Amino acid sequence: MKQRRAALGLATVAALLVAWEVLARAAHSIYVPPVTTIAATFAHEWFSPQFVQQAVPSLIRMFCGYLLAAALGVGIGVLIGAYRPLCRTVDPVLQFLRAIPPTALIPVGILLIGIGDAMKILVIALGAFWPILVNAADGARGVDRERLDTARIFGLSPLATLLTVTFPSALPGVFAGLRTGLSIAFIMIVVSEMIGSTDGLGYTILQDQRTFAIPEMYSGIALLALLGYTLNAGFVALERRVLAWHHGQSARPT
Amino acid sequence: MNGTRTPLLDVAGLRKVYRSSGTLALDKITLDVRRGEFVSIVGPSGCGKTTLLKTICGLLHPSAGSVTLNGARVTTPPPEMVLVFQDYARSLFPWLTVAGNVAFPLRKKRLAPDARARVIDDALDAVGLSTFAKHYPWQLSGGMQQRVAIARAIAFRPEILLLDEPFASVDALTRADLEDLTLRLRAELGITMLLVTHDIDEAVYLSDRVFVLSTPPSHVVREVAIPLGQPRDQERTRSDARFLALRNELHHLIGRRRESPAPPLAEAVR
Repeated sequence: MKQRRAALGLATVAALLVAWEVLARAAHSIYVPPVTTIAATFAHEWFSPQFVQQAVPSLIRMFCGYLLAAALGVGIGVLIGAYRPLCRTVDPVLQFLRAIPPTALIPVGILLIGIGDAMKILVIALGAFWPILVNAADGARGVDRERLDTARIFGLSPLATLLTVTFPSALPGVFAGLRTGLSIAFIMIVVSEMIGSTDGLGYTILQDQRTFAIPEMYSGIALLALLGYTLNAGFVALERRVLAWHHGQSARPT
Repeated sequence: MNGTRTPLLDVAGLRKVYRSSGTLALDKITLDVRRGEFVSIVGPSGCGKTTLLKTICGLLHPSAGSVTLNGARVTTPPPEMVLVFQDYARSLFPWLTVAGNVAFPLRKKRLAPDARARVIDDALDAVGLSTFAKHYPWQLSGGMQQRVAIARAIAFRPEILLLDEPFASVDALTRADLEDLTLRLRAELGITMLLVTHDIDEAVYLSDRVFVLSTPPSHVVREVAIPLGQPRDQERTRSDARFLALRNELHHLIGRRRESPAPPLAEAVR
């Protein structure tokens, strides 16, 4: 069953690629090259030092920004969610701040710290921070009363309760936020590199478009798709490991 | 048994008004539990039994009155007392294995690794779950999960166990098993038991004394001694004529209470 579904998925992808190939060859437009051309370009563009020069800086910035957002978002989010008075106080502010599209912060970042790596890391972190924070807070707020009472009955300090009861209880929410944050970080890296940069994938794609290197541009987009897919797959695998108890539990409601 | 004169647990004039709604849940509840005793509290549903247990174990603050354990006033959960919740699925930690859950209350007690392992083994052994140490709670049946909760409670080595309708969400056969398990733990480990239940037969079967609560605002209607001796046996005890007489008496006490009209709201809130 699982294999059949995977085979069906692959067949769909193959069919779409073939359709693209046929339509592009029929249309003869230089703006939409055939898949085979893009694939050939991809091979010599990215199986080359260009990968280290352009893709690696993007990934490093993204990870720095994302890890910063994850550490702060989870830490502050769980704290906010765990203390109800704090939660009520800051909630309107959070709802307002998270409503700002993160790309709108790029001009602010440029204004404050210029167009260097620090700006990109900052805007990536800011973009990913809010969904992580809000979901972690929701997760921590939803911890069962009985679990907190159990910790009190066994004499745990508030800090120990936060670490051993509230934090694990919040993990499903934390992971939902981390996942959303990851896709936003991915968007932010591309946008921030398109606006002010001399390297990175966003920069490369925009440069290719401006210099009419059309197959190169598409190969850059394809690389982004592959990287995004891989990151998400890795994330899902990690989540499945860490939240095995949660999925096992929800699979059998008692 | 030493000190049978002074009760282990003394609840005096306990009153609880919910601050948010102003509802008077408990009104001057007075009861006592002697060391080694099995005491039950029965009452109609909604009579604030859970509130009562939470207040007794220091999770909630009484609006008036006091709870005294071993001569000391209870204001926060004391280490000699553990509350077992009705809903094991909520009170157990699903991210920990059965052994991990049982080890949870040992975090505060600094034990050597082998002593710690022994406490966990003993607790699991006492509830018959030694072979399930590495399972997760959600992989077990409801009755087994409640055993894990009980094992976790006794690993903490309390003097008194408060049980909040612990067998309410399991099937009848499992229920009988768990009832006998509590009786055995009480006999073998000398743990005093205070059970809250709405099941009159269960209260009579398990207890030395039963306190009957009224509808809210709850107070103690009657204290009934259950002189059925030990050990109890599901078949023999439950078919004993005295058992039947006692359960009828309790049914009558609770039934009559339920029929009486609820007090007007103004009086209840006061």
